[in-house]
Amino acid sequence: MLNYIWAALLISAFVFAGASDIGDLSRDTYRNGQPLPVVLEFPEGTAAAGGRTPVRIRINAGVYQDFYGTDESPAPSYDGVLLRTGEGMVLRFDAGAALPEPLETIRGVSRSNDDELQGTVEGFLSPVLGLGDDPTAAQATVQFEHVRFVKMTAIGAAALDFAETAAGIAIGLIGVLALFLGVMKIAEEAGIIYAIVRVVRPVLRPLFPEVPEDHPALGMIALNLTANVFGLGNAATPFGIKAMEELQKLNPSEDTATNPMVMLLAVNTASVQLVPPVLLLALLGLQINRLIFAIIITTGLSLLVAIMAARLYGKLPGSRASDPNRTRPFGETPRDAGRDSRRGEG
Amino acid sequence: MELARELIGLLSAFVIPVILVGFPLYGLYKRVPVYETFVEGAKEGFGVAVRIIPYLVAILFAIGMFRASGAMDALIALLNPVLEPIGFPAEVLPMAIIRPLTGSGSAGLVADMVARYGEDSLFVKMAAVMFGSTETTFYVVAVYFGAVNIKRTRHAIPAGLTADIAAMLFAVWVVRLLFG
Repeated sequence: MLNYIWAALLISAFVFAGASDIGDLSRDTYRNGQPLPVVLEFPEGTAAAGGRTPVRIRINAGVYQDFYGTDESPAPSYDGVLLRTGEGMVLRFDAGAALPEPLETIRGVSRSNDDELQGTVEGFLSPVLGLGDDPTAAQATVQFEHVRFVKMTAIGAAALDFAETAAGIAIGLIGVLALFLGVMKIAEEAGIIYAIVRVVRPVLRPLFPEVPEDHPALGMIALNLTANVFGLGNAATPFGIKAMEELQKLNPSEDTATNPMVMLLAVNTASVQLVPPVLLLALLGLQINRLIFAIIITTGLSLLVAIMAARLYGKLPGSRASDPNRTRPFGETPRDAGRDSRRGEG
Repeated sequence: MELARELIGLLSAFVIPVILVGFPLYGLYKRVPVYETFVEGAKEGFGVAVRIIPYLVAILFAIGMFRASGAMDALIALLNPVLEPIGFPAEVLPMAIIRPLTGSGSAGLVADMVARYGEDSLFVKMAAVMFGSTETTFYVVAVYFGAVNIKRTRHAIPAGLTADIAAMLFAVWVVRLLFG
Protein backbone atom coordinates (compact mmCIF):
# COMPACT_ATOMS: atom_id res chain seq x y z
CA MET A 1 0.00 0.00 0.00
CA LEU A 2 2.74 2.41 0.98
CA ASN A 3 4.46 1.52 -2.30
CA TYR A 4 1.54 2.86 -4.26
CA ILE A 5 1.00 5.98 -2.17
CA TRP A 6 4.69 6.79 -2.32
CA ALA A 7 4.87 6.30 -6.08
CA ALA A 8 1.65 8.28 -6.51
CA LEU A 9 3.13 11.23 -4.59
CA LEU A 10 6.23 11.25 -6.77
CA ILE A 11 4.49 10.72 -10.08
CA SER A 12 1.78 13.29 -9.43
CA ALA A 13 4.44 15.79 -8.32
CA PHE A 14 6.29 15.29 -11.61
CA VAL A 15 3.17 15.37 -13.76
CA PHE A 16 1.70 18.45 -12.14
CA ALA A 17 4.98 20.34 -12.12
CA GLY A 18 5.45 19.51 -15.80
CA ALA A 19 1.90 20.48 -16.70
CA SER A 20 2.11 23.75 -14.84
CA ASP A 21 5.45 24.62 -16.45
CA ILE A 22 4.18 23.84 -19.93
CA GLY A 23 1.12 25.94 -19.19
CA ASP A 24 3.38 28.81 -18.13
CA LEU A 25 5.43 28.47 -21.30
CA SER A 26 2.43 28.44 -23.58
CA ARG A 27 0.82 31.38 -21.78
CA ASP A 28 4.21 33.11 -21.57
CA THR A 29 3.37 33.93 -17.94
CA TYR A 30 6.74 35.56 -17.31
CA ARG A 31 6.94 37.49 -20.60
CA ASN A 32 10.43 36.20 -21.23
CA GLY A 33 12.41 38.51 -23.46
CA GLN A 34 9.91 41.37 -23.25
CA PRO A 35 10.94 44.46 -21.30
CA LEU A 36 8.64 45.95 -18.65
CA PRO A 37 8.20 49.74 -18.80
CA VAL A 38 8.96 51.50 -15.51
CA VAL A 39 9.61 55.02 -14.30
CA LEU A 40 12.83 55.58 -12.40
CA GLU A 41 13.18 58.49 -10.03
CA PHE A 42 16.53 59.62 -8.78
CA PRO A 43 16.00 61.20 -5.37
CA GLU A 44 19.73 61.91 -5.03
CA GLY A 45 20.24 62.94 -8.62
CA THR A 46 21.95 61.07 -11.41
CA ALA A 47 25.29 62.70 -10.80
CA ALA A 48 27.23 59.58 -9.99
CA ALA A 49 28.55 58.48 -13.35
CA GLY A 50 29.71 55.08 -12.19
CA GLY A 51 28.72 52.65 -9.48
CA ARG A 52 25.47 52.66 -7.57
CA THR A 53 22.72 55.22 -7.83
CA PRO A 54 19.77 54.90 -5.47
CA VAL A 55 16.49 54.93 -7.39
CA ARG A 56 12.81 54.83 -6.69
CA ILE A 57 11.04 52.49 -9.10
CA ARG A 58 7.48 53.26 -10.07
CA ILE A 59 5.43 50.70 -11.94
CA ASN A 60 2.13 51.83 -13.35
CA ALA A 61 -0.55 49.40 -12.14
CA GLY A 62 -2.50 49.47 -15.40
CA VAL A 63 0.59 48.91 -17.51
CA TYR A 64 1.67 46.10 -15.21
CA GLN A 65 -1.69 44.33 -15.39
CA ASP A 66 -1.82 44.62 -19.16
CA PHE A 67 1.76 43.51 -19.54
CA TYR A 68 1.51 40.35 -17.42
CA GLY A 69 -2.21 39.75 -17.88
CA THR A 70 -2.80 39.62 -14.12
CA ASP A 71 -5.10 41.17 -11.53
CA GLU A 72 -2.33 41.89 -9.09
CA SER A 73 -1.04 45.38 -8.77
CA PRO A 74 2.38 46.57 -7.69
CA ALA A 75 3.01 48.93 -4.78
CA PRO A 76 3.14 52.65 -5.65
CA SER A 77 6.93 52.56 -5.58
CA TYR A 78 9.89 50.36 -4.76
CA ASP A 79 13.33 51.34 -3.58
CA GLY A 80 16.32 49.99 -5.41
CA VAL A 81 19.65 50.81 -6.93
CA LEU A 82 20.85 51.32 -10.47
CA LEU A 83 24.23 49.73 -11.06
CA ARG A 84 26.35 50.88 -13.96
CA THR A 85 28.77 48.24 -15.07
CA GLY A 86 30.83 47.67 -18.19
CA GLU A 87 28.10 45.46 -19.58
CA GLY A 88 25.33 47.94 -19.13
CA MET A 89 22.91 49.06 -16.45
CA VAL A 90 21.37 46.71 -13.91
CA LEU A 91 18.34 47.68 -11.90
CA ARG A 92 18.17 45.95 -8.54
CA PHE A 93 15.10 46.04 -6.27
CA ASP A 94 15.83 46.16 -2.55
CA ALA A 95 15.71 42.78 -0.84
CA GLY A 96 12.45 42.15 0.96
CA ALA A 97 10.34 44.30 -1.36
CA ALA A 98 6.74 43.07 -1.38
CA LEU A 99 6.41 42.19 -5.05
CA PRO A 100 3.24 41.13 -6.87
CA GLU A 101 3.12 37.93 -8.90
CA PRO A 102 4.72 37.07 -11.27
CA LEU A 103 7.58 39.36 -10.21
CA GLU A 104 7.71 37.49 -6.90
CA THR A 105 8.38 34.22 -8.75
CA ILE A 106 10.90 35.86 -11.06
CA ARG A 107 12.77 37.09 -8.00
CA GLY A 108 12.69 33.56 -6.55
CA VAL A 109 14.44 32.00 -9.53
CA SER A 110 16.77 34.84 -10.46
CA ARG A 111 20.36 34.13 -9.64
CA SER A 112 21.16 37.35 -7.83
CA ASN A 113 22.49 37.17 -4.31
CA ASP A 114 20.45 38.01 -1.28
CA ASP A 115 17.10 37.36 -2.89
CA GLU A 116 16.86 40.63 -4.77
CA LEU A 117 14.92 41.07 -7.96
CA GLN A 118 17.18 42.40 -10.68
CA GLY A 119 16.91 43.13 -14.35
CA THR A 120 18.86 44.83 -17.12
CA VAL A 121 17.82 48.33 -18.05
CA GLU A 122 17.45 48.31 -21.79
CA GLY A 123 17.80 52.00 -22.11
CA PHE A 124 15.89 55.13 -21.25
CA LEU A 125 12.92 55.76 -23.49
CA SER A 126 13.14 59.44 -22.87
CA PRO A 127 15.83 61.43 -21.18
CA VAL A 128 15.06 63.01 -17.87
CA LEU A 129 11.40 63.91 -17.72
CA GLY A 130 10.42 67.13 -16.16
CA LEU A 131 8.58 65.85 -13.09
CA GLY A 132 9.77 68.87 -11.23
CA ASP A 133 13.45 69.67 -11.09
CA ASP A 134 14.21 67.51 -8.14
CA PRO A 135 13.85 64.56 -7.98
CA THR A 136 14.57 63.84 -11.56
CA ALA A 137 12.87 60.93 -13.25
CA ALA A 138 13.21 58.89 -16.39
CA GLN A 139 11.18 56.34 -18.22
CA ALA A 140 12.98 53.10 -18.86
CA THR A 141 12.34 49.50 -19.76
CA VAL A 142 13.62 46.62 -17.68
CA GLN A 143 14.40 43.18 -18.93
CA PHE A 144 14.20 40.51 -16.23
CA GLU A 145 15.91 37.18 -16.36
CA HIS A 146 14.25 34.46 -18.39
CA VAL A 147 12.10 32.23 -16.24
CA ARG A 148 11.38 28.67 -17.30
CA PHE A 149 10.40 25.46 -15.55
CA VAL A 150 9.68 27.11 -12.21
CA LYS A 151 7.83 24.10 -10.76
CA MET A 152 10.35 21.55 -12.02
CA THR A 153 13.11 23.48 -10.31
CA ALA A 154 10.92 23.81 -7.25
CA ILE A 155 10.22 20.09 -6.84
CA GLY A 156 13.89 19.30 -7.30
CA ALA A 157 14.81 21.83 -4.65
CA ALA A 158 12.04 20.58 -2.35
CA ALA A 159 13.32 17.01 -2.58
CA LEU A 160 16.82 18.04 -1.51
CA ASP A 161 15.47 20.34 1.13
CA PHE A 162 13.19 17.76 2.71
CA ALA A 163 15.84 15.05 2.62
CA GLU A 164 17.99 17.34 4.72
CA THR A 165 15.07 18.11 7.04
CA ALA A 166 14.38 14.39 7.47
CA ALA A 167 17.93 13.62 8.55
CA GLY A 168 17.85 16.67 10.81
CA ILE A 169 14.67 15.45 12.51
CA ALA A 170 16.13 12.00 13.08
CA ILE A 171 19.42 13.37 14.44
CA GLY A 172 17.47 15.76 16.65
CA LEU A 173 15.72 12.79 18.23
CA ILE A 174 18.97 11.21 19.48
CA GLY A 175 19.08 12.98 22.82
CA VAL A 176 15.47 12.39 23.80
CA LEU A 177 15.63 8.81 22.58
CA ALA A 178 18.76 8.15 24.64
CA LEU A 179 17.17 9.70 27.73
CA PHE A 180 13.99 7.67 27.62
CA LEU A 181 15.56 4.46 26.38
CA GLY A 182 17.97 4.70 29.32
CA VAL A 183 15.16 5.12 31.82
CA MET A 184 13.18 2.36 30.13
CA LYS A 185 16.13 0.01 30.57
CA ILE A 186 16.03 0.67 34.30
CA ALA A 187 12.29 0.10 34.27
CA GLU A 188 12.78 -3.26 32.57
CA GLU A 189 15.54 -4.39 34.92
CA ALA A 190 13.60 -3.31 37.99
CA GLY A 191 10.44 -5.04 36.82
CA ILE A 192 8.39 -1.85 36.61
CA ILE A 193 7.20 -2.73 33.11
CA TYR A 194 5.72 -5.99 34.38
CA ALA A 195 3.90 -4.12 37.12
CA ILE A 196 2.45 -1.78 34.50
CA VAL A 197 1.47 -4.71 32.30
CA ARG A 198 -0.54 -6.20 35.13
CA VAL A 199 -2.48 -2.94 35.55
CA VAL A 200 -3.25 -2.23 31.90
CA ARG A 201 -3.82 -5.81 30.75
CA PRO A 202 -7.62 -5.76 31.02
CA VAL A 203 -7.83 -2.60 28.89
CA LEU A 204 -5.19 -3.31 26.28
CA ARG A 205 -5.52 -7.05 25.76
CA PRO A 206 -8.74 -6.77 23.73
CA LEU A 207 -6.93 -4.38 21.37
CA PHE A 208 -3.84 -6.54 21.09
CA PRO A 209 -5.11 -10.11 21.39
CA GLU A 210 -2.04 -11.52 19.60
CA VAL A 211 0.29 -10.27 22.34
CA PRO A 212 0.81 -12.80 25.18
CA GLU A 213 -0.78 -11.51 28.36
CA ASP A 214 2.38 -10.99 30.38
CA HIS A 215 4.46 -9.54 27.58
CA PRO A 216 6.34 -6.29 28.29
CA ALA A 217 5.08 -4.88 24.97
CA LEU A 218 1.78 -4.10 26.70
CA GLY A 219 3.61 -2.03 29.32
CA MET A 220 5.45 -0.04 26.67
CA ILE A 221 2.22 0.52 24.76
CA ALA A 222 0.61 1.78 27.97
CA LEU A 223 3.44 4.27 28.54
CA ASN A 224 3.24 5.37 24.91
CA LEU A 225 -0.51 5.99 25.15
CA THR A 226 -0.15 7.75 28.50
CA ALA A 227 2.44 10.14 27.06
CA ASN A 228 0.14 10.77 24.11
CA VAL A 229 -2.86 11.50 26.30
CA PHE A 230 -0.90 14.12 28.19
CA GLY A 231 0.34 15.72 25.01
CA LEU A 232 3.96 14.72 25.64
CA GLY A 233 4.92 13.98 22.04
CA ASN A 234 8.63 13.93 22.84
CA ALA A 235 8.23 11.16 25.36
CA ALA A 236 5.58 9.31 23.38
CA THR A 237 7.94 8.65 20.47
CA PRO A 238 10.64 6.74 22.43
CA PHE A 239 7.94 4.73 24.25
CA GLY A 240 6.25 3.96 20.94
CA ILE A 241 9.54 2.88 19.39
CA LYS A 242 10.27 0.71 22.41
CA ALA A 243 6.80 -0.84 22.11
CA MET A 244 7.47 -1.53 18.42
CA GLU A 245 10.75 -3.22 19.34
CA GLU A 246 8.94 -5.44 21.81
CA LEU A 247 6.30 -6.28 19.21
CA GLN A 248 9.04 -7.00 16.70
CA LYS A 249 10.40 -9.66 19.07
CA LEU A 250 7.06 -11.46 18.63
CA ASN A 251 7.16 -11.04 14.87
CA PRO A 252 8.19 -14.15 12.90
CA SER A 253 9.02 -11.95 9.92
CA GLU A 254 11.79 -9.38 9.64
CA ASP A 255 10.19 -6.69 7.55
CA THR A 256 6.43 -7.19 7.61
CA ALA A 257 4.13 -5.52 10.12
CA THR A 258 2.01 -7.71 12.38
CA ASN A 259 -1.57 -6.95 13.38
CA PRO A 260 -0.63 -5.57 16.83
CA MET A 261 1.91 -3.26 15.16
CA VAL A 262 -0.75 -1.91 12.83
CA MET A 263 -3.09 -1.44 15.81
CA LEU A 264 -0.42 0.46 17.77
CA LEU A 265 0.18 2.66 14.77
CA ALA A 266 -3.51 3.31 14.17
CA VAL A 267 -4.06 4.24 17.81
CA ASN A 268 -1.08 6.58 17.63
CA THR A 269 -2.15 8.33 14.45
CA ALA A 270 -5.56 8.92 15.97
CA SER A 271 -3.58 10.70 18.69
CA VAL A 272 -5.78 10.64 21.75
CA GLN A 273 -4.82 13.71 23.67
CA LEU A 274 -6.40 15.64 26.47
CA VAL A 275 -3.75 18.35 26.39
CA PRO A 276 -3.69 20.39 23.19
CA PRO A 277 -0.40 20.44 21.27
CA VAL A 278 1.91 23.26 22.29
CA LEU A 279 2.00 24.50 18.71
CA LEU A 280 -1.73 25.06 18.67
CA LEU A 281 -1.52 26.90 21.95
CA ALA A 282 1.14 29.16 20.49
CA LEU A 283 -0.97 29.88 17.42
CA LEU A 284 -4.35 30.44 19.02
CA GLY A 285 -3.56 31.49 22.57
CA LEU A 286 -6.40 31.26 25.07
CA GLN A 287 -8.91 30.75 22.28
CA ILE A 288 -7.86 27.13 22.63
CA ASN A 289 -9.83 26.78 25.87
CA ARG A 290 -13.08 26.87 23.96
CA LEU A 291 -11.87 24.26 21.53
CA ILE A 292 -10.61 21.63 23.99
CA PHE A 293 -13.98 19.99 24.31
CA ALA A 294 -14.38 19.79 20.53
CA ILE A 295 -10.88 18.34 20.18
CA ILE A 296 -11.52 15.69 22.81
CA ILE A 297 -14.79 14.59 21.19
CA THR A 298 -13.21 14.47 17.73
CA THR A 299 -10.12 12.63 18.86
CA GLY A 300 -12.21 10.11 20.80
CA LEU A 301 -14.48 9.39 17.85
CA SER A 302 -11.54 9.06 15.48
CA LEU A 303 -9.86 6.69 17.94
CA LEU A 304 -12.86 4.41 17.70
CA VAL A 305 -12.69 4.58 13.91
CA ALA A 306 -8.95 3.84 14.01
CA ILE A 307 -9.46 0.75 16.15
CA MET A 308 -12.30 -0.51 14.00
CA ALA A 309 -10.38 0.18 10.77
CA ALA A 310 -7.23 -1.59 12.00
CA ARG A 311 -9.33 -4.56 13.08
CA LEU A 312 -11.55 -4.72 9.97
CA TYR A 313 -8.82 -4.14 7.39
CA GLY A 314 -6.79 -6.85 9.12
CA LYS A 315 -9.56 -9.29 8.30
CA LEU A 316 -9.49 -8.54 4.56
CA PRO A 317 -8.10 -11.40 2.44
CA GLY A 318 -5.10 -9.35 1.31
CA SER A 319 -4.07 -8.48 4.88
CA ARG A 320 -4.62 -12.04 6.06
CA ALA A 321 -2.45 -13.38 3.27
CA SER A 322 0.40 -11.07 4.26
CA ASP A 323 0.05 -11.60 8.03
CA PRO A 324 3.46 -12.86 9.21
CA ASN A 325 1.76 -14.85 11.97
CA ARG A 326 -0.29 -16.80 9.44
CA THR A 327 2.01 -17.17 6.49
CA ARG A 328 4.82 -18.80 8.39
CA PRO A 329 4.68 -22.47 7.49
CA PHE A 330 5.52 -24.93 10.23
CA GLY A 331 9.23 -25.42 10.83
CA GLU A 332 10.38 -22.61 8.64
CA THR A 333 12.77 -20.02 10.02
CA PRO A 334 11.41 -16.54 10.63
CA ARG A 335 13.69 -15.10 7.97
CA ASP A 336 12.28 -17.34 5.25
CA ALA A 337 8.75 -16.65 6.32
CA GLY A 338 9.30 -12.93 5.93
CA ARG A 339 10.57 -13.35 2.42
CA ASP A 340 7.86 -15.82 1.57
CA SER A 341 4.96 -13.64 2.63
CA ARG A 342 6.05 -11.02 0.11
CA ARG A 343 3.72 -12.69 -2.36
CA GLY A 344 0.55 -11.53 -0.64
CA GLU A 345 0.80 -7.77 -0.82
CA GLY A 346 -2.30 -6.23 0.76
CA MET B 1 -14.65 21.83 32.35
CA GLU B 2 -12.18 24.42 33.61
CA LEU B 3 -11.40 22.28 36.64
CA ALA B 4 -10.87 19.19 34.54
CA ARG B 5 -8.49 21.11 32.35
CA GLU B 6 -6.57 22.40 35.37
CA LEU B 7 -6.26 18.87 36.64
CA ILE B 8 -5.09 17.46 33.31
CA GLY B 9 -2.58 20.27 32.97
CA LEU B 10 -1.27 19.54 36.46
CA LEU B 11 -0.98 15.82 35.77
CA SER B 12 0.80 16.36 32.48
CA ALA B 13 3.39 18.51 34.22
CA PHE B 14 4.13 15.61 36.55
CA VAL B 15 4.24 12.68 34.13
CA ILE B 16 7.80 13.13 32.84
CA PRO B 17 9.45 14.04 36.17
CA VAL B 18 7.70 11.11 37.88
CA ILE B 19 8.96 8.70 35.21
CA LEU B 20 12.47 10.13 35.15
CA VAL B 21 12.86 10.19 38.93
CA GLY B 22 10.51 7.44 39.99
CA PHE B 23 11.85 4.67 37.77
CA PRO B 24 15.50 4.99 38.83
CA LEU B 25 14.40 5.36 42.45
CA TYR B 26 12.42 2.14 42.28
CA GLY B 27 15.39 0.57 40.46
CA LEU B 28 17.65 1.50 43.38
CA TYR B 29 15.19 -0.10 45.76
CA LYS B 30 15.30 -3.25 43.62
CA ARG B 31 19.13 -3.11 43.74
CA VAL B 32 19.50 -2.45 40.03
CA PRO B 33 22.81 -0.70 39.16
CA VAL B 34 20.83 2.28 37.90
CA TYR B 35 23.57 4.41 36.38
CA GLU B 36 25.11 1.57 34.40
CA THR B 37 21.72 0.33 33.29
CA PHE B 38 20.71 3.81 32.17
CA VAL B 39 23.85 4.21 30.08
CA GLU B 40 23.37 0.74 28.65
CA GLY B 41 19.86 1.60 27.48
CA ALA B 42 20.72 5.13 26.35
CA LYS B 43 23.37 3.73 23.99
CA GLU B 44 20.55 2.52 21.76
CA GLY B 45 19.34 6.09 21.18
CA PHE B 46 21.85 6.81 18.47
CA GLY B 47 21.25 3.55 16.65
CA VAL B 48 17.48 4.04 16.63
CA ALA B 49 17.77 7.60 15.32
CA VAL B 50 20.12 6.55 12.56
CA ARG B 51 17.91 3.59 11.65
CA ILE B 52 14.95 5.93 11.13
CA ILE B 53 16.77 8.21 8.68
CA PRO B 54 16.19 6.29 5.41
CA TYR B 55 12.49 5.84 6.18
CA LEU B 56 12.03 9.47 7.11
CA VAL B 57 13.93 10.69 4.04
CA ALA B 58 11.85 8.44 1.77
CA ILE B 59 8.57 9.75 3.14
CA LEU B 60 9.44 13.40 3.61
CA PHE B 61 11.11 14.09 0.27
CA ALA B 62 8.13 12.60 -1.59
CA ILE B 63 5.76 14.77 0.42
CA GLY B 64 7.99 17.79 -0.17
CA MET B 65 7.91 17.27 -3.91
CA PHE B 66 4.17 16.71 -3.88
CA ARG B 67 3.60 19.98 -2.04
CA ALA B 68 6.01 21.98 -4.18
CA SER B 69 4.46 20.76 -7.43
CA GLY B 70 1.07 22.31 -6.84
CA ALA B 71 -0.60 18.91 -7.10
CA MET B 72 -2.35 19.78 -3.85
CA ASP B 73 -4.42 22.43 -5.63
CA ALA B 74 -5.49 19.88 -8.20
CA LEU B 75 -6.46 17.43 -5.46
CA ILE B 76 -8.49 20.15 -3.76
CA ALA B 77 -10.24 21.00 -7.02
CA LEU B 78 -10.98 17.31 -7.48
CA LEU B 79 -12.34 16.68 -3.98
CA ASN B 80 -14.27 19.88 -3.51
CA PRO B 81 -17.31 18.97 -5.65
CA VAL B 82 -17.66 15.77 -3.61
CA LEU B 83 -17.23 17.38 -0.20
CA GLU B 84 -19.12 20.64 -0.64
CA PRO B 85 -22.55 18.92 -0.83
CA ILE B 86 -21.98 17.15 2.50
CA GLY B 87 -21.21 20.47 4.19
CA PHE B 88 -17.44 20.25 4.19
CA PRO B 89 -16.23 23.79 3.48
CA ALA B 90 -13.62 24.29 0.73
CA GLU B 91 -11.68 26.63 3.02
CA VAL B 92 -10.62 23.85 5.41
CA LEU B 93 -9.97 21.23 2.74
CA PRO B 94 -6.25 22.13 2.40
CA MET B 95 -5.88 21.49 6.13
CA ALA B 96 -7.56 18.10 5.86
CA ILE B 97 -5.20 17.07 3.07
CA ILE B 98 -2.00 18.47 4.54
CA ARG B 99 -2.50 17.29 8.13
CA PRO B 100 -1.53 13.60 7.63
CA LEU B 101 1.42 14.65 5.45
CA THR B 102 3.31 17.23 7.48
CA GLY B 103 3.08 18.56 11.00
CA SER B 104 4.99 21.81 10.50
CA GLY B 105 3.18 22.44 7.22
CA SER B 106 -0.22 22.11 8.81
CA ALA B 107 0.79 24.33 11.74
CA GLY B 108 1.81 26.93 9.19
CA LEU B 109 -1.56 26.55 7.53
CA VAL B 110 -3.39 27.19 10.82
CA ALA B 111 -1.34 30.37 11.28
CA ASP B 112 -2.13 31.37 7.71
CA MET B 113 -5.85 30.78 8.25
CA VAL B 114 -5.84 32.79 11.48
CA ALA B 115 -4.40 35.69 9.49
CA ARG B 116 -6.88 35.28 6.66
CA TYR B 117 -10.16 34.46 8.38
CA GLY B 118 -9.60 35.74 11.92
CA GLU B 119 -9.18 33.81 15.15
CA ASP B 120 -12.86 33.61 15.82
CA SER B 121 -14.00 32.20 12.49
CA LEU B 122 -15.54 28.76 12.13
CA PHE B 123 -12.91 27.78 9.57
CA VAL B 124 -10.05 28.42 11.98
CA LYS B 125 -11.86 26.47 14.69
CA MET B 126 -12.35 23.54 12.34
CA ALA B 127 -8.72 23.63 11.24
CA ALA B 128 -7.53 23.85 14.85
CA VAL B 129 -9.68 20.90 15.89
CA MET B 130 -8.33 18.92 12.93
CA PHE B 131 -4.80 19.81 13.94
CA GLY B 132 -5.32 18.95 17.59
CA SER B 133 -7.19 15.71 17.13
CA THR B 134 -4.95 13.89 14.63
CA GLU B 135 -1.30 13.07 14.13
CA THR B 136 1.00 13.34 11.13
CA THR B 137 0.22 9.79 9.98
CA PHE B 138 3.06 9.42 7.48
CA TYR B 139 5.62 10.67 9.97
CA VAL B 140 4.44 8.23 12.62
CA VAL B 141 4.58 5.38 10.10
CA ALA B 142 8.12 6.30 9.06
CA VAL B 143 9.43 6.67 12.61
CA TYR B 144 7.70 3.72 14.30
CA PHE B 145 8.14 1.20 11.51
CA GLY B 146 11.55 2.57 10.56
CA ALA B 147 12.84 1.96 14.08
CA VAL B 148 12.25 -1.78 13.68
CA ASN B 149 13.02 -1.95 9.95
CA ILE B 150 9.48 -2.81 8.90
CA LYS B 151 9.14 -2.13 5.20
CA ARG B 152 5.86 -3.85 4.42
CA THR B 153 3.31 -1.87 6.39
CA ARG B 154 0.24 -3.91 5.34
CA HIS B 155 -3.01 -2.19 6.34
CA ALA B 156 -1.36 0.40 8.61
CA ILE B 157 -1.66 3.31 6.16
CA PRO B 158 -5.26 2.55 5.14
CA ALA B 159 -6.26 2.27 8.81
CA GLY B 160 -4.42 5.47 9.74
CA LEU B 161 -5.90 7.39 6.82
CA THR B 162 -9.40 6.11 7.53
CA ALA B 163 -9.06 7.45 11.06
CA ASP B 164 -7.76 10.74 9.66
CA ILE B 165 -10.64 11.12 7.22
CA ALA B 166 -13.09 10.33 10.01
CA ALA B 167 -11.40 12.90 12.25
CA MET B 168 -11.61 15.59 9.55
CA LEU B 169 -15.33 14.96 9.04
CA PHE B 170 -15.98 14.81 12.79
CA ALA B 171 -14.03 18.05 13.28
CA VAL B 172 -16.27 19.92 10.84
CA TRP B 173 -19.37 18.39 12.33
CA VAL B 174 -18.44 18.93 16.00
CA VAL B 175 -17.42 22.56 15.41
CA ARG B 176 -20.67 23.26 13.57
CA LEU B 177 -22.60 21.63 16.38
CA LEU B 178 -20.84 23.53 19.18
CA PHE B 179 -20.18 26.91 17.57
CA GLY B 180 -22.22 27.05 14.36
